[in-house]
Amino acid sequence: MIENNISQSSFLLELIKGRRAIRNFQKKEISLDDMKKILEAGIWAPSGSNLQSWEFILIKDPQTILKIKLVSPGLFSNPDSLVVLCVNKSKAERGGKLGIEMAVMDLAMAAQNMMLMAYSLGIGSCPIASFNKIAIKQILNIPNNVDIILILTFGYPQTWPKAPPRKPIKEVVFYDKYGRNIE
Amino acid sequence: MTNMEEILNNKYFQLLSFLITSARGCIDEPPLYGPLRLLDAASRVIDMMEKEKMVDEKISNIKNLILQAIDILMVDENEFIKIVDEISKELGKYIAN
Repeated sequence: MIENNISQSSFLLELIKGRRAIRNFQKKEISLDDMKKILEAGIWAPSGSNLQSWEFILIKDPQTILKIKLVSPGLFSNPDSLVVLCVNKSKAERGGKLGIEMAVMDLAMAAQNMMLMAYSLGIGSCPIASFNKIAIKQILNIPNNVDIILILTFGYPQTWPKAPPRKPIKEVVFYDKYGRNIE
Repeated sequence: MTNMEEILNNKYFQLLSFLITSARGCIDEPPLYGPLRLLDAASRVIDMMEKEKMVDEKISNIKNLILQAIDILMVDENEFIKIVDEISKELGKYIAN
């Protein structure tokens, strides 16, 4: 177990606040080792009933990235690598009626882990939800029982953009009951 | 057009793919993504016009406004709409002259 350590918690908050959605990348390769570290961070995300019904496809082949870009209107950058985040429905269904919903939440947590790990390595990322699932399934030969939920792009950023404003805590956090603001 | 690599890198084919997949995406995506995709397509058309040396300073200015609009959408919806109005105005002025 990790000991309570102020410098670690400050560092974590710094990572969380520093991560940005990056849409302009340098032409610089990310090593496979770094991508493996990013993926490892992903698989250590929490998972409902520990089902781990996620499946990740790492794509580094430029031709395959180009094909995916062609059918992904939301992907307009030139990333070095992509990770396609999928839910294996056959595994998720073991979680009962809530299985698929839980699996999507698990995947979101895995995505955040990956983006934070990438940021800690100086690598930018961006979550992409605007893509054509039907076409990508054809391109990547993904079976019917596997659903694509999200694509993450990765690359070394041209610049780190400024943080967009966040809604203040008093607007989105309530204390003990709904509508009661936290001081 | 002989091989697949040429087709995949062809700007017309890229625009075709973008339009088809955007059409499908717009069924489920937030309503403002419709104008976003159309502006993105317009920017791609300007890129193609550039290769044919059909872009003057005014069209280039329209492209800059389009890129500004695309950048601002996630941050400020009202500003996005203002810039789209500005793009329409600039286009109108261009056609009128």
